[in-house]
Amino acid sequence: MWKQPYFVIGFSILAFFLAGSFVYEWIWGNVPRQVYYIMEGGRAVEGAPISPNWQFPLGSDQYGYDMLGKLMLGAKYTILAALAVGVLRMLIAVPLGYILGTYLDKHRKWISSLADSMHYIPLTLFAAFVLTPVLWMPQDGFTTTIWERIGVQVVIMALLTVPIVAVLIANEAALLRDKEFILAAKTLGAGRFRIIRKHLYPQMREKIAVLYGQQVMETFIVFAHLGLLNLFLGGTKVSYDPMFGDPPMSISYEWAGLFGSTFRYLQGAPWLPLAPVLFIALGIFAVSLMMEGYLRSKNPKVKKKRIAAAKDSVVEWNREQLREGMVRLKAKEMTETEK
Amino acid sequence: MKLILNFFIAVAGIILASSLPLLITGWLVGEWRWRVYFDSIGASLQELWPLGEIAFFNNRIQQFVPLFPNIFEYIIYSLVILFLALLLAVAVSLILTIVTMLLSDRARERVKMALYFLESIPDLLIIMLAQLAVVMFFKQTGVLISKIAAIGDDRIYWLPVLCLAILPTIELYRLAMLTFQEEERQMYVDLARALGFSKVYIVLVHMFRNAVISVFFQSKKTMWFMLSNLFVLELMFNLPGIMLFLSDNMYPLAFLVAVFSFFLPMFFLYSFGEWYFVRRLRGKEAV
Repeated sequence: MWKQPYFVIGFSILAFFLAGSFVYEWIWGNVPRQVYYIMEGGRAVEGAPISPNWQFPLGSDQYGYDMLGKLMLGAKYTILAALAVGVLRMLIAVPLGYILGTYLDKHRKWISSLADSMHYIPLTLFAAFVLTPVLWMPQDGFTTTIWERIGVQVVIMALLTVPIVAVLIANEAALLRDKEFILAAKTLGAGRFRIIRKHLYPQMREKIAVLYGQQVMETFIVFAHLGLLNLFLGGTKVSYDPMFGDPPMSISYEWAGLFGSTFRYLQGAPWLPLAPVLFIALGIFAVSLMMEGYLRSKNPKVKKKRIAAAKDSVVEWNREQLREGMVRLKAKEMTETEK
Repeated sequence: MKLILNFFIAVAGIILASSLPLLITGWLVGEWRWRVYFDSIGASLQELWPLGEIAFFNNRIQQFVPLFPNIFEYIIYSLVILFLALLLAVAVSLILTIVTMLLSDRARERVKMALYFLESIPDLLIIMLAQLAVVMFFKQTGVLISKIAAIGDDRIYWLPVLCLAILPTIELYRLAMLTFQEEERQMYVDLARALGFSKVYIVLVHMFRNAVISVFFQSKKTMWFMLSNLFVLELMFNLPGIMLFLSDNMYPLAFLVAVFSFFLPMFFLYSFGEWYFVRRLRGKEAV
């Protein structure tokens, strides 16, 4: 796995963001540097938001905070939360799927169609609908701490698609269960639990790993979508002041919040919403690289060319034989007609 | 018969989901509010009954307006965009697949890898880049290709449809490639080749028929993502569709109405497709 370049590249992208996030906070504290305007030759040439330049690679936001700093500070929340949602979802869905596929096989049909109805509810919408009471700040402030809210959000987002993933695994397990080696194990007296642990799980390990990667990617996207709806990871700070209300703000610097609170500036200062979305895209890309690398390490590609060549020579030999036979037959016919 | 059963189970699932936020609010303060939950479900169902009497508070004109028939305008607009994008995605991805299948093995593998990584582009990025590109083009040449936001009763079609179609196209393309390649290993393809049919003919006539069925059955997940994307699209373009309507009215009844409005057409589309393809498969077995 560690020899696959794809896996290593993907892993280093994620590791760079995570490590960078903690190091940044450790060195510069948890507030990014703030510059109100740039001086050039004694005159102010540009005020916040500053467009990207050498000093600020990703520009600065409307209050003069460095975008790159904000993104680095927020990386840990977004990446860790997405990974955690995936882990939790798989931890719940895999055992459930196995139970559904083996012990409760009689009920699998109708449970499948119940879970199937989730396919008609857009995931983002469902997540937004369910998470609003958790994340939207009530009039008199939050009663929960930020870590509690992040925890609750992770748990809820993990639970949302558990039915779909569990049914997927159950169907896969049910397919495998009819294979000969499982039947053989059964005849030898293996119990259901042993079959799950010793036969079904090792057979499906790769599929489960890929499924995990997909869940993480999906979670990144849903975070971004929720950001658009002003529902940020760890809660949305809402100002209820009727006169000078600030727009809804994210409490941490996580990426969804950075995107959600700035996408109105797309035409004026495109780097504000584009930078977080690019970072999210990079995160998703890293996960898909890791998945591809993992798969390649598990089933290395056979040298196709050599096999093809070998096959070709056999075909060629057959053809040669056929031609010879035909010639012989024709010659025989000719001699017979001559007679 | 099975169809009707499935329909009712799906409806039950959606209704159960519609009041979930109440349960979660209770869970946050550490209690199980089953009674409130079921009361809310009952209340939404009761309100649903005389369909003509449902009224919603419209933020734009600051008064209550009856839901029907006003809602149909929203629903139809959303569905038109969704299905146009779906048609576009299916058509483009199938054409591309057929073209790619005619290429050599190595080229195909490269295309597949590229598609795999292209799939990781978030929809938001595509929408934003499209909007920026339109504005850039307008600034450079003075030609407005398409409006980038709908105001009032505006209807914009082709740019949102294009944005919505890009990701499903990539996804379906990859899916179709995998299915076609799987199909290529079947015996009948070898037979057809041995009989001297050209590659184009085999791909277009023989493999296409069989692979399309498989692609159809796997496309459900793509549709699911498209619904989420539609939601984001309506927000970003400010399209007056059902999703925007729902995000203004986030409570159980509106949720039910909105989800049903695209559940019904999609469910019938998929049930019909399933019925049609299964019948055809059975017919083949009998022959």
